[in-house]
Amino acid sequence: MTAALAVVVFITAYLLIATERVHRVTAALGGAAIVAAFGVVGAHEAFFSPDTGIDWNVIFLLFGTMVMVGVIKQTGLFEYLAILAAKQARARPYRIMLLLCILTAGASTVLPNVTIVLLVAPVTLLVCDRIGVAPVPFLIAEALAANIGGTATLIGDPPNLIIGSRGDLSFTDFLFNLAPLVAVLTIAFLVMCRWIFRADLVYDPSRVDAVMALEEREAIRDAALLVRCLVLLALVTLGFVFSKPLGTEPSIVALVGAWLMVLASGLQPKDFLDEVEWETLVFFMGLFVIVGALVESGVIDRLSETVIDAIDGRYFLAASGLLWGSALLSAVVDNIPYVATMAPLVANLAHAAPDPQTGNALWWSLALGADLGGNATAIGAGANIVVIGIAARNGYRIGFWQFTRYGVVVAFVTVAISWPYIWLRYFALA
Amino acid sequence: VPVLAKDIAEPFPTVTLDTNAYEAAKLLAGRRLPGLIVIDAEQHPVAILPGSQVLNFAIPRYVQDDPRLAQVYDERAADELCAKLETRTVREVLPAKELRELEVVDGRATVMEVAAVMARQHSPVIAVIEKERVIGAITVSHLLNHILPQR
Repeated sequence: MTAALAVVVFITAYLLIATERVHRVTAALGGAAIVAAFGVVGAHEAFFSPDTGIDWNVIFLLFGTMVMVGVIKQTGLFEYLAILAAKQARARPYRIMLLLCILTAGASTVLPNVTIVLLVAPVTLLVCDRIGVAPVPFLIAEALAANIGGTATLIGDPPNLIIGSRGDLSFTDFLFNLAPLVAVLTIAFLVMCRWIFRADLVYDPSRVDAVMALEEREAIRDAALLVRCLVLLALVTLGFVFSKPLGTEPSIVALVGAWLMVLASGLQPKDFLDEVEWETLVFFMGLFVIVGALVESGVIDRLSETVIDAIDGRYFLAASGLLWGSALLSAVVDNIPYVATMAPLVANLAHAAPDPQTGNALWWSLALGADLGGNATAIGAGANIVVIGIAARNGYRIGFWQFTRYGVVVAFVTVAISWPYIWLRYFALA
Repeated sequence: VPVLAKDIAEPFPTVTLDTNAYEAAKLLAGRRLPGLIVIDAEQHPVAILPGSQVLNFAIPRYVQDDPRLAQVYDERAADELCAKLETRTVREVLPAKELRELEVVDGRATVMEVAAVMARQHSPVIAVIEKERVIGAITVSHLLNHILPQR
């Protein structure tokens, strides 16, 4: 009975989230309330259990990085870097796109990619206006770059936070396993940009002066604050890297980092708390409880047994299925709820694997599939939705298919490159 | 004897929806007006064009959202932003909502009624009509002169 209720609530919540019939936060919160009210999960399972409850490591890691971004936003760093990039490129559209994508992908490895596009997109609109080109291809390219760059680290893309926490994978694990591949994917993506956006990248020499006249230094009001923030960001990144040897969690590092940045900036609570995306945090909490109900009622265990039987020791097949299946599903549903659902299933599969290396290959397949598959459509990832929102606010409409016709190419190519990487690194050469 | 809207309404320049936006902005600037009354071909008021809306149109949303971006523009770039008004009409500068929700006051309205409408609309100026024709307008400053206690 409880299993049936957990499944019904899960499917209903998913349908509501996917069809946007109700706000995704309302759907997640409603689902959590129902499974809790009917006793599928109790207070202990919902709030305190590491297996079935709200993952506070994920919540506080997100919260801490959001506060840090809120402080860094005050420095004008991204405005400075983006305008500097445009000037270095001397108004040549492809070079500007290249540099802005490198900036976005690079920054998305140390801060959440959704917040990075929030910082880079406005200055991109300004730069495009100055060089006289349509900003839409640049904005789409930045969302795609943010999703690729964010794949590299534990904190880059929200699905990775869940994977890291549920799979007990550290920042360094992500760095060693995914960052080398992401570097290759980024290069491939930048080459692809030249081809897929070629019609929009028209250079107008008469616009060079308009770009060179921009005063990037004026974007930085408080140089001392910028220096303090950069030092703290470097320390926080080191904290993420060494969190496991230090015996702490990335969430604690993020929390301490956020506190130090708030101290360094002197911002008032209202100012830095305004930058926290509370909707996202509540959405995560609701999802954890809904998926926790599936775990608690035994649905995930039964599903895992069926899948393990079906795999029958063929783990490369399982990894391939996870990679391509996740890419496909993340294209049509938001990759955050998808990964939240898959995490307990993959945890069981990884646990049943013959060795930790093979088990981890399943986690990396899930991460790559979900993160890169999120590029395929306009609704696949948070960064895509944010960019489309900023464009609309500024009078540029990015339609679902307009995004998708670029995104699907990039998602397919990047997943196709990832597949042999998984095979070579975790199976053929293991 | 209560003071009525028609008693304090002043002659006020009007523009049409097809007036060039740059010309409208020049009129606002030249006569230091808080806004303009927009009328249709039958002389009926259809909207108020506040000066802030002209700025809202000229200054890109991303600059309004991120004040740091305003600092990176030089003077020439600022001129270029405002120059885009030259190719637009008042109709294009006005948000659709402004055209749907214009509130005017009748000439027989009391100053408190006028004040209530202006407060609700957050409008710096309001058109006063009689027999569906604009007979003048009342600005916020003019209205305040009448309702502030004299000390």
